[in-house]
Amino acid sequence: MPRWGMVIDLDRCIGCGACVVACQAENNVPINTEDVYHQRRAIAWIRLERYWEGEFPNIKARYIPVPCMQCTNAPCEPVCPVYATYHTNEGINMQVYNRCIGTRYCAVNCHWHVRFFNFWEPKWPDSLKNQLNPDVTVRSRGVMEKCNFCVHRIVKAEQKAKVEKRELRTDEVTTACAQACPTNAIVFGDLDDPNSAVSKLLAQAEHEGRVYRLLEDLGTDPKVYYLKKVDIEAAAEPAAAH
Amino acid sequence: MRYVRVLLFVLVVLVIMAVPLALVLARSYFLAPTAQPVKAQPIQFPHQVHVQAIGLDCTFCHRNATTSAQATLPPIELCMQCHKVIPTQGRPELEKLVAAFEQNQPILWNKVHQIPDHTHFVHSVHLSFGFQCSTCHGDVGAMGKPGVQQVRDLRMGDCITCHQQNGARTDCSVCHY
Repeated sequence: MPRWGMVIDLDRCIGCGACVVACQAENNVPINTEDVYHQRRAIAWIRLERYWEGEFPNIKARYIPVPCMQCTNAPCEPVCPVYATYHTNEGINMQVYNRCIGTRYCAVNCHWHVRFFNFWEPKWPDSLKNQLNPDVTVRSRGVMEKCNFCVHRIVKAEQKAKVEKRELRTDEVTTACAQACPTNAIVFGDLDDPNSAVSKLLAQAEHEGRVYRLLEDLGTDPKVYYLKKVDIEAAAEPAAAH
Repeated sequence: MRYVRVLLFVLVVLVIMAVPLALVLARSYFLAPTAQPVKAQPIQFPHQVHVQAIGLDCTFCHRNATTSAQATLPPIELCMQCHKVIPTQGRPELEKLVAAFEQNQPILWNKVHQIPDHTHFVHSVHLSFGFQCSTCHGDVGAMGKPGVQQVRDLRMGDCITCHQQNGARTDCSVCHY
């Protein structure tokens, strides 16, 4: 049984936003208009957070892509009154749209703000109607939605493996964001498989002391790992000051 | 006599509570997919002739059933491979097929087995575990002129019962994602 996880190497991330667009297209996420943004009701299963570091002129932009952390002890799960969000045995925090009654407790309880509520029926311009992904349910008004590690891709690969009477191969599945990333900053795979790309990357980065997780101290055991940025200039600065 | 009013009250409450229950049961009984009349199709396609008389396999026409989620309907070109040499005179249903082919128009079949959008059923996996088409679809080969009728409930309870009996996964994300 795989345990899906993700590694995001912030040293490679250039903040291009390809992951955001890929996710939007892959998962039938409605298009956020300016109006929706101002109401703070925009839906983006993975978002790109930008921080400024330092003072002008030595200012640097820092980017952190934030998908759902797929916490092992997810705080969003126990608050759902109808069990519309639950943990699969592959470690994915699933949202069952047809079960959701829209209490939004889960969104309140999520520290990463990666759960989104459909305040309106989703709409697309006519030119985009035929680009909807048939493998993903279009969520109607009144239900929560969130990143689920492109579970339709995982299910499809597992079904393909079943039809071909074999086990799922290492790194056979990848998410839309990882696939779209031009610098391979996002890597997806099985954390329990020592041969998978994520495990190798984590083992190496652990050695370099770069691994951390967002809000790790809350104890929810997120399955999205971040690798710290290697800032050569910052490391050189204290030495230069002397 | 002092309990008569209480008894009457309880009786009335029970009757009132039974009304919505009866309505729900009636709804699920009359709206059951198997209770619906045969859907009208643009061409009255006789499965009987193709399966029983000619002996075609289901997957001869529904070609993607073993490899993909959808069983899929064949393109008209596949029909015409045989039907270009079969006389159409005096057979109005066949004339419709040839007309559709010549005008390059698709035939807009009515879907018989409707599964809601939030449910993902995959044909290939079920077939690879050895289930026959007739397990869910019934003996389509014996269905003649008016069209195909749904013979099995195929609502969530039906799916889950079968999954439990066969030791398949029953958590939500098997079908809902």
